[in-house]
Amino acid sequence: MSCSFLSAKIQFMGTQDKAEKAAEKLNNQKYLLLTTVLFTLATLVVGALVFRYYMADLGKTQEVTEYDKYYVMITDNYKSDFWQSVYKGAFDAAKDQNIYVDLLGQNIGGDYTCEQLMKVAIASQVDGIIVFANENTEITDLINEAVEKGIPVITLYGDSTNSKRLSFVGVGSYNIGREYGRQIFNIIKEKRREDFIESEKMGHRKTMQIAVLVNTDSQDSGQNIIISGLQETLEQENATNSEFSISIVPIDNTNAFSVEESIRDIFLNESIPDVIVCLNELNTVCAYQAVVDFNKVGDVNILGYYNSEAIVSAIEKDVVYATISIDTQQMGQYCIEALSDYYDYGNTSEYFTADITLINKGNVAEYLQKEETDE
Amino acid sequence: MNRFFNLPLQKKIVSIYMAANLIIFIVNVFLVLGINNMARDMELVYQDNRQLNKFSESLTDVQDNMTDYLSSKTTDSLENYYRSAQNLQMLADELGDKVTDLAFSRMKRNIKYMTLNYLEGVSQTVEAKRGRNVEKYRTHYEEATELYEYIMDYIRGLNNEQFVSNSQRYAELSGAFRAFESLSIMVLTLVMAGNIISIIIIVGMMISPLKRLASSANEVAAGNFDTTLPGTPYHDEIGIVIGAFNKMVISIKEYIIRQRESMEKERLMQEKELTMEAHLKDAQLKYLQAQINPHFLFNTLNAGAQLAMMEGADRTYEYVQTVADFFRYNVKNHETEVTIGEEVTLVDNYIRILNVRFSGDIQYHKQVDERLLSISMPTMVLQPVVENAVNHGIREMGDKGVITLRVYREDNDVCISVSDNGKGISIVDIDRILDGSWIKDEKQPDTNGIGMVNVISRLRLFTGNDNAVAIRSGGLGKGCEVLIRLPLA
Repeated sequence: MSCSFLSAKIQFMGTQDKAEKAAEKLNNQKYLLLTTVLFTLATLVVGALVFRYYMADLGKTQEVTEYDKYYVMITDNYKSDFWQSVYKGAFDAAKDQNIYVDLLGQNIGGDYTCEQLMKVAIASQVDGIIVFANENTEITDLINEAVEKGIPVITLYGDSTNSKRLSFVGVGSYNIGREYGRQIFNIIKEKRREDFIESEKMGHRKTMQIAVLVNTDSQDSGQNIIISGLQETLEQENATNSEFSISIVPIDNTNAFSVEESIRDIFLNESIPDVIVCLNELNTVCAYQAVVDFNKVGDVNILGYYNSEAIVSAIEKDVVYATISIDTQQMGQYCIEALSDYYDYGNTSEYFTADITLINKGNVAEYLQKEETDE
Repeated sequence: MNRFFNLPLQKKIVSIYMAANLIIFIVNVFLVLGINNMARDMELVYQDNRQLNKFSESLTDVQDNMTDYLSSKTTDSLENYYRSAQNLQMLADELGDKVTDLAFSRMKRNIKYMTLNYLEGVSQTVEAKRGRNVEKYRTHYEEATELYEYIMDYIRGLNNEQFVSNSQRYAELSGAFRAFESLSIMVLTLVMAGNIISIIIIVGMMISPLKRLASSANEVAAGNFDTTLPGTPYHDEIGIVIGAFNKMVISIKEYIIRQRESMEKERLMQEKELTMEAHLKDAQLKYLQAQINPHFLFNTLNAGAQLAMMEGADRTYEYVQTVADFFRYNVKNHETEVTIGEEVTLVDNYIRILNVRFSGDIQYHKQVDERLLSISMPTMVLQPVVENAVNHGIREMGDKGVITLRVYREDNDVCISVSDNGKGISIVDIDRILDGSWIKDEKQPDTNGIGMVNVISRLRLFTGNDNAVAIRSGGLGKGCEVLIRLPLA
């Protein structure tokens, strides 16, 4: 009796054990099921969310700032480093005042002259025009037309003195002339020393030929001022007339490729000048390339204009003797300043002069270092 | 969850199917919505270009109509001019005039103002033409045409810019489309996998009780009622079947136990009854024994014997002594086995007592092999056999009745023969006596209670031999012999 009871108890315990195991298994399965179902739903939700955010990100247009005023800058060649740099200065200065400056011509197909761009700007009823002007009557008329329609006009770098322009932002051409004069005098002094060492040559000393490259098309008063400044300096520095002679070489810039051809022509002449003074960026680059191509490095000293990368590296390589660095940023800033002054006070100063610096072999390293830290 | 599992099987299966389908359906809805969305975006990509083309067409219309009017001055061309100018004015007004970082917005602004200027110039031209001011309309026409060229250039520029940017946008969108494609395939795959796993688990959970039930049923079918009964986790049809199965197994088990118990009880009852009977017999015997105080009887008889001796009545003394011996044997003999000699002495005493009672009527012959007297045999065997022979054989024969007792050896058996010359016995009666179906005649008073049946069965038990007792008779009136065979040693 008791034995059977015991066995029944064992049996019962075994049953309970098995039942517990079964229940545990069931529970595990339930958890697994729950996890799977949750996982499925989570996948669904996450997929939907990811896609939604992805689309939202895609559909989102970038932050748009709206500006109060709209100025345009008109130049003869918007691609050049010089104008880009000026534009950047103006753009940054304008942005601070919630004004947008466009470099006109960038977005329009085809080549436009300054005059044509002026017409576009006037028709577009912009809030201000910054234009690289000259003394042409056509541009003077256009400036006057704009001013009559209530658009203030700033002339930049090149002036139109007879127009009703608000003010002129440029460089001190006389100062540039003086800098060039000093550099030429340095070259003369070096030559004197060389001649002194090779004293037998003293007898037949050559006059130093100085060629100043000027553009033919514009009646740019700046060029003349530079040349007169140059001459005055040389005279003040005790250079005798027999030591140098200045010649004005006209460079045909009426069409796109004539500048380069004109410069090459100089080197095809019998007498090649000892010093070439370039008054713009393109001339400098062309002259530099011509000197290299005609193997005249060391014989011909180039006085350049503007501090583009190519020109600065040419100074490093001793191909270009010196160059004038213009504070283009400052120029741009002055343009905006003048226009803002006009809108705020009704008037502004008529002349703004940007700083210039000379870069030669002596300070080119310093200059490059500074550029690097600025970046 | 439990509520779900407690649903009927059909509902469960249908709801699983529906849930899986629903999830896939949702995924598909997302897919379709996404594709729709993207298709719409893609449609919109080149909308700006279309708008701009419309604008430039309208502009050309104005220019053409103006030129047409200037050259022909027809009313039609004037009407056309007005209509197209109005259209252009409307389109120009639609262009925004905001100045933003985006080149498009500024270009649109410029185009708008230039167009407005142009329209003014054109209207001045037309006015001058109507006023026949040839000089004026010529200059106005030239100016307007120049402006027209600029605007067209501007539009071309804008169109190009927009085309570039829209192409970029289109590329982005198609990239997004591909990303969406792979994303949705991934989601679809994962959801499918999840669905399949869920269904496998749910079906497994639904089926597992059935599996356990099957294995339990197999065990029960093999006869093991103590198998683990499967639990009923849910109250669906399977649960009901399991519950019913469990109840059935339990009730079968209970039935078996009850059956076993009742059998046990019955057996106990029988046992009890038998013991009761034995106890009753025992009590009866004790009662009878208690009635006769043997010591009192023997003392009384001894006293009688002494009295007879003192009075010189030797025969009386001997008789009383014999009677005393006879009873003493009866009283003292509680052992089941005695020697043949003791049994023979008892028979001697019995015959002597009978002879006194019936005044020497019975002739008693004894042929005994003395060597066999120490052989053991069951007690109280010979005296009943002799008593039987006297009572049923020779009672009515007076002094002609002879009782012969012989003890001899035959082969390996000790034979004890009690024979008489009395009235004999029929074969039928012999058979009855030997197979125990003889019915005792209760009216016969002169027995000491131990019948032949008892003697025969005891002898058979003692020897383990059914032929231990033989009864022979020559028929009625020819005497009878009872032969007892005992194994030697």
